[in-house]
Amino acid sequence: MVQSRLARYARISGSLLIAVAGLAGSASLASAEDVIRFGAPLPITGPLAPEAVKQQMGYNLWAEEANKAGGINVGGRKYKVEIVYADYQSNTPRSVQTTEQMITQDKINFMFGPFGSGAAKAASTISEKYKMPTIAASASSSQVYDQGYKYLFGTFTPNDTLTTPLTQIIKAKAPEVKKVAILARNDLFPLAIAQEMEKSAKANGIEVAYFEKYAINTLDHSGTLSQIKSLAPQWIFVTGYTNDLLLIRKQMVDQQMKAAVVTMIAGPAYQEFIEAAGQSAENISSASWWHPAEQYAGKDIFGQTSNFVKLFRAKYNSDPDYAQASAALCGALFQMAIEKVGSLDREKVRDELAKMDVVTFFGPVRFGANGQINSLEPPVFQIQNQKAVVLFPDAIKQGEFKLGVN
Amino acid sequence: MLAVQVLINALVLGCLYACIAIGFSLVWGVLNVINLIHGSFIVLGAYLAWGAYQWLAISPWYALVIAAPLFFVFGYLLQRLLLNRVITAPVLVTLTLTFGLDLILNNAMIYYFKADYRKLTLSPPTGSISLFDVVVPVDRLIATASALVLTGLLYLLLRRSKVGRAIVAVRLDRDAAVLMGVDVKSIYAIAFGLGAALAGCAGVLMALIFPISPLTSSAYLGKAFVVCVLGGLGSVSGALAGGLLLALVEGVGSTLIGPAHATTLSFVLLIIFLVVRPQGLLGRKGFE
Amino acid sequence: MTRVNLALLILIACVASLPLFGGAYALRIGTIACMYAIFALSWNVVGGFAGYPSFATAAFFGFGAYATGILLNKSVPLSVAVIGSLVMCFLLAAALGAVLLRLRGHYFAIASLSLVEVFRELVNNATDLTGGGMGLNIPLASGSGILADATFFFYAMWGLLLITAVVVIIVSASKLGFGLNCIRQNETASDMVGLNSTLYKSVAFGLSACFVGAAGGIYAAWVHYIDPSDVFDILYSVKPIVMALMGGLGSPLGVVCGAFVYLGLEEVVWRNYIQIHSGVLGVLIIMLLLFLPHGLISLRSGMFWRKAKHV
Repeated sequence: MVQSRLARYARISGSLLIAVAGLAGSASLASAEDVIRFGAPLPITGPLAPEAVKQQMGYNLWAEEANKAGGINVGGRKYKVEIVYADYQSNTPRSVQTTEQMITQDKINFMFGPFGSGAAKAASTISEKYKMPTIAASASSSQVYDQGYKYLFGTFTPNDTLTTPLTQIIKAKAPEVKKVAILARNDLFPLAIAQEMEKSAKANGIEVAYFEKYAINTLDHSGTLSQIKSLAPQWIFVTGYTNDLLLIRKQMVDQQMKAAVVTMIAGPAYQEFIEAAGQSAENISSASWWHPAEQYAGKDIFGQTSNFVKLFRAKYNSDPDYAQASAALCGALFQMAIEKVGSLDREKVRDELAKMDVVTFFGPVRFGANGQINSLEPPVFQIQNQKAVVLFPDAIKQGEFKLGVN
Repeated sequence: MLAVQVLINALVLGCLYACIAIGFSLVWGVLNVINLIHGSFIVLGAYLAWGAYQWLAISPWYALVIAAPLFFVFGYLLQRLLLNRVITAPVLVTLTLTFGLDLILNNAMIYYFKADYRKLTLSPPTGSISLFDVVVPVDRLIATASALVLTGLLYLLLRRSKVGRAIVAVRLDRDAAVLMGVDVKSIYAIAFGLGAALAGCAGVLMALIFPISPLTSSAYLGKAFVVCVLGGLGSVSGALAGGLLLALVEGVGSTLIGPAHATTLSFVLLIIFLVVRPQGLLGRKGFE
Repeated sequence: MTRVNLALLILIACVASLPLFGGAYALRIGTIACMYAIFALSWNVVGGFAGYPSFATAAFFGFGAYATGILLNKSVPLSVAVIGSLVMCFLLAAALGAVLLRLRGHYFAIASLSLVEVFRELVNNATDLTGGGMGLNIPLASGSGILADATFFFYAMWGLLLITAVVVIIVSASKLGFGLNCIRQNETASDMVGLNSTLYKSVAFGLSACFVGAAGGIYAAWVHYIDPSDVFDILYSVKPIVMALMGGLGSPLGVVCGAFVYLGLEEVVWRNYIQIHSGVLGVLIIMLLLFLPHGLISLRSGMFWRKAKHV
């Protein structure tokens, strides 16, 4: 009996193994020479899927441009760029697994971090173990970088660099703002930035009349908004992803809420928010790490900021936002570091990244001792006439701050 | 004034919740199947409304008329061809089967529509009505009215038509219905088709109010669960009562103890109801 | 000890030799395989033996992960933290089970499903203790190198699997297992012959939760970072059911094989179909239910021959 059962299992598992081997074999990538492989674990499915699409657009644009120019020049020899994608299903532990798989199985040369601060932080442990230079395109929380890791770099400045200039502008331009209501999505980045907001409001003498979190799958905000309305704050500050902010904005209009200042992070930085919100987006202020209106004469493959915007428009027929630009920047930075040292040696590339001090289409890039960029001045902007208008920094200012959101 | 506003909000939202849940409740009550694909059906309905408006300039009201028969046929076939094969199997099997179906439909939607959020914005916007200090958005009001009309139609169908009586008969006592000459197989398929049609119509209405994305399907499904258990299975009035109760608890809860706890509160309520009153607010005993 | 159970122990023993063959990545897969097998075995106690369709696996997995994570942050040693989570999970589940297991069928399924939601939201809102939506960082256990770390966590998970398997085998042969069997077949009748079904069910629910919770604890220490939407992922509840259906309900050997096969399929599908893997998984689940309703264990070797003759 046991024997027959064991034999049965052996047969089943045997045939499965063959099937597995067949599938794996058919999918294994032909590893040609003269290719540099970059690993990019992304949340292609699951709740973060929209963000994955953005990063992918940025990476692909860079890869295409680099390959158009013949590839990356490593000590006189041209290497083609290949980006290896994998889906970690918006699941942080899976991103760790994917990172390890890419390093040990897919034999990638360099690594892009997974999306967001949480996953980037978790995966950085693996890159550190394998001494794999990693640039995270979308991790802003300083906790990610304060782990003392040597191989992790990030292109976003800490969250308070977004809220502090915003608060200062509003304090200067709208002295009647005395009370702020903060509503945050209970999720890593949105909650972290709301907490920074609370701090900078207090530091600038603005009373925080309301501070609440909403759960991730909230379908209706009418109760919360009615309550905020009854407190009559002059400033309403909401964080979340595009879908949350669209819904909240719609319900604010429904409830005829008015305030001198309405700030939303991170929705208004995305073109699709402006399009979907239409008229109701008018005068909403926000801040992000990059804006297409910036003008830098970059030394990277994209050169001028306007050139990057032009290339992006030509490929995708839309305006780039900070997430897409940051992803493209990560590629461009690797390219510069590799070309400078003329080698694919991970240690050398890592050291080159660490001492990098260069202007790019994204802005000046210099990494702090912890690996997080510390040279950027994130822009503050406002939606005016269906377009994002930059208010800060002064060097690229496009317009004046306008009061009143209806 | 805040209290009145919260109450009005809850009333409107409650009808929408009922609309989300009613098809789910019908399928559960009649077929004894927990239909996990329900949430994705709603999202698909929302995409239908969005696509019709965006590409063909068909207003959502007409989309409602298109969605109902389309989804009915889809649901009918799905039941006949797939679910029917395991309909007598234990709870676990039917549940897992609809889970698998949901994975497929949801993945197909992510693949085809991409995961980013769409918004159906009517032009000109419908605005809001305000009385004293209480504000009610017109589009929600219209969606609520449509939801009420839909539930009313279902109620009439179940009460008055021959098929409807047969569905109710199967729900109450399957074996007796068989003895009375009811073709249970086709009643199952019709009930599942009706459930799908109601989900599709709910989706069309939700498109007016919520951003559309495959990712929202689990939120809809969660609401359907809670509403069903609170109100009682399979009955139209139960779904309405459950929807209103849920919306009220969420609204009052988020005002009093903060929005982050509203979801917790609704699920705690669900567990309490399951343990203390499993037949729901309006259900009769004997369905569990 | 029946021969099937012996086969199960032999299978688990074979898994232990994995570090001889594979590197760090193979060990990672091996650790997940052991974790899945723990899920499937644990679920089988309440789902297979007692016949209650529980969706609570994710709730206790997450609870265990957070309990261990918080204890580790208070510099409690890993072993103590994991055992602590195990005990807490058992007590919590047994208490909840006494209430929830009065429900049957769909009602129990939904109640257990809601447990996941409630636990997740509670953890989400206890920001001071758990970090809320910002997740919880767990201090690195050691810096002893890639392979040593991977091997350590693999054996930790494997050891837990072995304990789980032994306990499940003992339960299945004991009075408790017999009682659960009676409850599955006819609960009313077993009540009438004087079986304390509430106690039996509570203990079964506790057993089905405690090893999952301990696995959650090891997992938390292993990945260093957990957040509510990850560890309270509803898929952790659904997967053990699919594994058990795949392998054969009620049979410990069957569900463990189911877990390994499921992981294999998941890996293959996930690697090769980036955009559509969840859809492919759905198709596999449906095929399984339609064409192999009693799991792999129902495959008789004779079947192949019969088919061959017809051809």
